[in-house]
Amino acid sequence: MSTAAAPSMEHGTSSFGVYNLKLGMWVFLLSEVMFFTGLIGSYIILRFANPDQFAVPGAVLNVPLTALNTFILICSSVSMVKAFADVQAGNQAGLKKWLLVTALLGMVFLGIQAIEYTVLASEGFVPMAERYAAHGRAGGHETLGGPLYGTTFYTMTGFHGTHVSIGVACLWWCVFQAYRGRYTANSHGGIEIMGLYWHFVDLVWIILFTIVYLI
Amino acid sequence: MAEHTAPAGAPASSHGEHKAPNYYLIWLILFVVTVAEVGVAFISQIPKTVLILILLAMAIYKAFLVAMYYMHLKFEPRRMWLIVTAPLPLAVILVVIVLREGW
Amino acid sequence: MSTAAVPHDTAAHAQAHHEHIPFIRKYIFSTDHKVIGIQFMFMSLFFLLLGGLLAMAMRWQIAFPYNETAGFQGQPLPGGDLLPETMVVQGIMLPEFYNALVTMHGTIMVFFAIMPLLVGVWANYLIPLQIGAPDMAFPRINMMSFWLAFGAGLLMLASFAVTGGAANAGWTGYTPLSINDLYSGVKTGQQLWALSLTILGFSSLMGSVNYITTLINMRAPGMTWFRLPLSTWALLITSILILLAVPVLAGGLIMMFFDQTIGTNFFKPETGGQPLLWQHLFWFFGHPEVYILILPAMGFVSDIIANGARKPIFGYHAMVWAIIAIGFIGWIVWGHHMFMSGMNPMLGGFFMVTTLIIAVPSAIKTFNWLGTVWRGNIRFHTPMLFALSFVALFVIGGLSGVPLAAAPVDIPLHDTYFVVAHIHYVLVGGSLFGIFAAITFWFPKMFGRTMNETLGKVHWALTFVFFNLTFFPMHMLGSGGMMRRLYDPTQYPHIASMQDTNIFITWCALILFAAQLIFMWNFLWSLFKGKLAGENPWEANSLEWTAPSPPPHGNWGDRVPVVHRGPYEYSAPGATADYQLQTEAPTGQPLPATH
Repeated sequence: MSTAAAPSMEHGTSSFGVYNLKLGMWVFLLSEVMFFTGLIGSYIILRFANPDQFAVPGAVLNVPLTALNTFILICSSVSMVKAFADVQAGNQAGLKKWLLVTALLGMVFLGIQAIEYTVLASEGFVPMAERYAAHGRAGGHETLGGPLYGTTFYTMTGFHGTHVSIGVACLWWCVFQAYRGRYTANSHGGIEIMGLYWHFVDLVWIILFTIVYLI
Repeated sequence: MAEHTAPAGAPASSHGEHKAPNYYLIWLILFVVTVAEVGVAFISQIPKTVLILILLAMAIYKAFLVAMYYMHLKFEPRRMWLIVTAPLPLAVILVVIVLREGW
Repeated sequence: MSTAAVPHDTAAHAQAHHEHIPFIRKYIFSTDHKVIGIQFMFMSLFFLLLGGLLAMAMRWQIAFPYNETAGFQGQPLPGGDLLPETMVVQGIMLPEFYNALVTMHGTIMVFFAIMPLLVGVWANYLIPLQIGAPDMAFPRINMMSFWLAFGAGLLMLASFAVTGGAANAGWTGYTPLSINDLYSGVKTGQQLWALSLTILGFSSLMGSVNYITTLINMRAPGMTWFRLPLSTWALLITSILILLAVPVLAGGLIMMFFDQTIGTNFFKPETGGQPLLWQHLFWFFGHPEVYILILPAMGFVSDIIANGARKPIFGYHAMVWAIIAIGFIGWIVWGHHMFMSGMNPMLGGFFMVTTLIIAVPSAIKTFNWLGTVWRGNIRFHTPMLFALSFVALFVIGGLSGVPLAAAPVDIPLHDTYFVVAHIHYVLVGGSLFGIFAAITFWFPKMFGRTMNETLGKVHWALTFVFFNLTFFPMHMLGSGGMMRRLYDPTQYPHIASMQDTNIFITWCALILFAAQLIFMWNFLWSLFKGKLAGENPWEANSLEWTAPSPPPHGNWGDRVPVVHRGPYEYSAPGATADYQLQTEAPTGQPLPATH
């Protein structure tokens, strides 16, 4: 199918000099920015309106564990960019290695988040408004915050986690394709767009971590 | 991700010749700023508004580094920057205006 | 016509011309932008018909309600005996069913008829053809975009059959009504509504990524930005609006769905949620959405008017900047849908000012259309008739927007039939007339046959007359205090006194609906029996008219069009014909450098 585009592409009038796959991925990421804006923006607005429904940093959420998770995701961004640099240089072994590392780090991130969710839920911190009864990390009988806290937290981090999961699945696909020799120094658009998506997911987490866990 | 090869005739990497950034240095900066963020967040002496501004600034700085160096935005044509920054004013507008509701 | 000799992939060439593609790959799961555009067309025309039917049922109830005390005996709904007792009892529909009709009419018309007819059909069909590309940048994603929309449509239709019936909280789905079946009586239907629209949102997003990438990257040699036809410009800005607005709606719909299913409390006031947050999120999307619903039509109208008047569009650059300005300012006017919602009144002031400002670029476009036809050698073919009446009707719709934009004046007019008049003048008089103009104009290119001109003109005349007769009186009804979404107008004395108007409107609406059958007949008959069309039956300039009718897969085969001039060179002094295709070589002048 892409070969039908070939004649026009060779003589095309291109304003940007950015090939289709990359431009398409950037454009798609812009829509993702707006999606997370809707979710995070709503969180900010709801929090300003009902500050008593939210808790001080660290009282309910596990900041140290999540800080570690943030670090893990940042590491996976490095491994992703190393994979890209290696395929550009023709280093197939490096490409495969770093792709694997990225996929595995992504899975670790998800695993830690799953553990975090389980612990939080056991402490009464749930998204369902009726059942919200968060007593926080220190234990105790007092309910910290209110239903909006659980509602917004799980929605934002849950959708971020969904994006990470999709990214991990795509990374495994890239690994599979890399082992089949599909990426070369001259043709590796798939790795570049995989990288863009993965870095974007990391970027969103950087913002989310600060706003949700530290403020 | 099925369309994994760039179409024929398109350059494999469109940002031409440039020295690759030091990815590990960026990683180190990100690590240090993250630690600083977590540290700052728990300093109770800082007034809340100032604290929020500092933390947001740090987060934005980290995001900026990831976009510029890992996503290679620094090396893309200037027109791309225009496209990429387009949603940001919209995001600000939505949040700022609805915050004026003062619920 | 000059073409460039291009080294091409022989294998692809062979595939396009010789390989037998199975029916399913060719017509059902096709990745060809033209087939996908036509698929969208058939799907959307079906939904347009369905949306119209729902409106007819609504109009019947409004004109003939059963109100014993006020002396109205009602009339049994035709076909009402086919519907279950949960909807219609002894020929009179239940209020809950009426609310569902209102909701589904709006939802189906906006999301499954007008939007796909303007974008799904024409962005897909026209963009590659007008820029000289063989197809879209991502043909397989394009195919997925259609099937996602189709799936979303099935979900929406399914909601009629579930317990509680279809969604009935209005096409705007305001909370908390839409998230609480204790008040609305509808649970599953509302969930399906939210789910269906989220999926449709994905479809639109995939489409817009395709359109934007294709437009930026795949223009033919010589096709610089300011040589693009206004149809293409309009579709570009529309795609950007979709890209950035739809995700916010998606976020809101997801929050709504979670409130409905998981028990979150984003919009539930009893546990600290904010119902008004939904309105802000919805209208932040909703206002760019209405520009999504009108800009492509404006683009088509510009091209068709220039063609029909045999003159260049007046002020092409201004037209481009006006489209861009509408796209920009459209982001900061959303609160004008919320003047009466209880939001901060200071915001009302802000939104009033921005809304009045956005009238300016639209006015610029109107004057430029007038300037185009001024002293033109006008050909009154069917597309031209629809395009010219678009201008008139859109102006009326725009004018009725001005009092609505003024917040104090909106106080008595909000949620009345004045608003209904306004939206239908711009959505039907504007968008739908633009759609009819586009379909009649590009039908020969799409199907290789022309539609019947006589039937086209009859359809136009009846539609124009009965559209005005149906909707103009609604301005008076609204000023007189008749509310929207009203099941029984006769329950209020001040509205019962206007019941004759309501009955008149209903009869005109029924005739208006019947007139559309002429279009349907013309469309279907011409598909098989229409006169064969040549490459350029309208003697137009843009690139699609240099391809065969209908164009093959790949559009121009191995000939890549090369562009030498803009799209509006009609009646140029010194030219042999009153039109010049964009690919016509300039005489004696050096070729401009490609952009």
